[in-house]
Amino acid sequence: MSTAWQFYLTTVLVYLGVDVIACWGLNLQYGYTGILNFAYVVFQSAGAYTYAVLTLGPVYRGDFQQYIVGMSLPFPLPIIAAGVVGGLLSAVIGVVGLRRLRSDYQAMVLLVIGLIATTVITNASGIFNGAAGLSLIPKPLQSHLNLTLIGYQWAYVLLVAVFCVIIYWFVHRITQAPFGRSLRAVRDHEQAAAALGKNVTALRMTSFIIGGVIAGISGALLVGFIGAWSPGSWLYQETFIFFTALIVGGTANNAGAALGALLVPVAFLEATRFLPQFGGPGLIDALQWVAVGVLTLGFLWFRPRGVLPERKRSLRLPEIAGPPGPAGQSGPAARPVGAPRVEDARRRA
Amino acid sequence: MTIAAADAGPAAADTAVLAIKDLRKNFGGVLAVDGVSFTARRGEVTGLIGPNGAGKSTALGMIAGSVRPTAGQVLLNGVDIAGLPSYQVARRGVGRTFQLSSEFPHMTVLENMLAAVQGGRGDTLRSALLGKRYWRQAEDANVRLAAELMDRFSMTAMANELAGTLSGGQRRLLEIMRALMARPRLLLLDEPMAGVNPALSQRIQEYLLELRSEGLQMLMVEHEMSVVERLCDHVIVMAQGRVLADGTLTEIRSDRRVLDAYLAG
Repeated sequence: MSTAWQFYLTTVLVYLGVDVIACWGLNLQYGYTGILNFAYVVFQSAGAYTYAVLTLGPVYRGDFQQYIVGMSLPFPLPIIAAGVVGGLLSAVIGVVGLRRLRSDYQAMVLLVIGLIATTVITNASGIFNGAAGLSLIPKPLQSHLNLTLIGYQWAYVLLVAVFCVIIYWFVHRITQAPFGRSLRAVRDHEQAAAALGKNVTALRMTSFIIGGVIAGISGALLVGFIGAWSPGSWLYQETFIFFTALIVGGTANNAGAALGALLVPVAFLEATRFLPQFGGPGLIDALQWVAVGVLTLGFLWFRPRGVLPERKRSLRLPEIAGPPGPAGQSGPAARPVGAPRVEDARRRA
Repeated sequence: MTIAAADAGPAAADTAVLAIKDLRKNFGGVLAVDGVSFTARRGEVTGLIGPNGAGKSTALGMIAGSVRPTAGQVLLNGVDIAGLPSYQVARRGVGRTFQLSSEFPHMTVLENMLAAVQGGRGDTLRSALLGKRYWRQAEDANVRLAAELMDRFSMTAMANELAGTLSGGQRRLLEIMRALMARPRLLLLDEPMAGVNPALSQRIQEYLLELRSEGLQMLMVEHEMSVVERLCDHVIVMAQGRVLADGTLTEIRSDRRVLDAYLAG
């Protein structure tokens, strides 16, 4: 394979890994818990900026870019910090947006928070260098590894793959456990879940914060690779790319979320690069957004549960009705309604 | 041993488990519930009846914690639970069913029931991360309990069907089973027979009678008088946010004011 193709392939693989991680985080929030986090990209961006300011080192007066904090922490601390910041930001926004609001209003609050965040970061140039954004962000371990350009590209693919495995392990444990069932109960019927003793707000917050941590990590991995980050990298529309990926791939299904990340941000958006240019500058970009919208609508209309829908979790039932004996208990249907089945049904009371 | 008997001490037979004192709910100037007081005794089924708009469901909601009372007390075993959020009321042993079906549609019948287990292993973030080996056994025990309940309600065949695909009557049964899964000491039923065909309504009534005979305390809002007659030991009549009469159905029937309220309502 030529160097150019290897370079392209590794770049696409890193994007894929980052998008898969981000989709798993959003899937936990939206697919499993039903939170319409229309500000998701803000949390990814928080991770990216955190990574940037913790690796760029101290800022000098008159430097071409101005930012807060300015440290150069060793790998992997900036990535971990990005997750922590994503989680903390989620906690703060969750306290404002997730309590006492119905889910459609939560969605609006989050969308508005996303827009406010972009405006603030763009205009307050002292925080993350405003609209110009941050650049020359160091790549993790690049100076230590002594690799060729392509060698480092492959090493980065490996790094992202390792994070994919860790994050998958994490979300899989959560979603397969009774805890994941509680999240889905909240998603399916909030009042009924509360009437069964589920602390709906706490469950929503937990899911929201974990999603924020995952988003932050994905942002750090992305910015560590591309080396630059500005408000143009995280327009609110980017959130809808992730939502489209989930809707196409399948919500509440971690394999579906990964497939969606492959199909939408990677395959769908990369494929259009190879189209011949036509029309005025920016036309193709604009058409891309139109196409993403059409894709979402098409799936919602024709295949609302995605390519890999949420799977039905069948469980094997234990044999409870003993063999036909003197008690005359044979099968489930044969038992008369008044039969004394109470004892065992409640024996653990 | 039945659940109700489990916590009934020797002298508990005549203690009120649920006592409502001067409960009020004001919806922006409209007094939906205007000073309601009654007691529901242990081991009995209490019926809450009255014309539409009498405030029955609001009263039930205030007991269950889904509606925040403007004033008044809800004493559960002598402890005031008025104003506590639903989940805390539920954790104190109050189960409920809703007027409109409230199943978790994208979960199976069995999962709906397992979701009702409170404080089980694997139901916190930390214990979920400990992995299947940690919570597997507890889960199996809960599955067994659910299987027994489904068997009793003749719903075993539906165990692995998505709850969203059930018929209206099956959803009612599921809701009752799910509430029982949490082993409540008091079960609140909001029109359990609404929209259920007569045959299934008969079956649900038989199940509820069976639960009553086991000593499960229930408070039900119901419109159908034949159901009230069959199930309820004790009836509270509400109209326009107030308690109009309180007694056995025979006593209530001869009450002039009740007849007036029903004819006027």
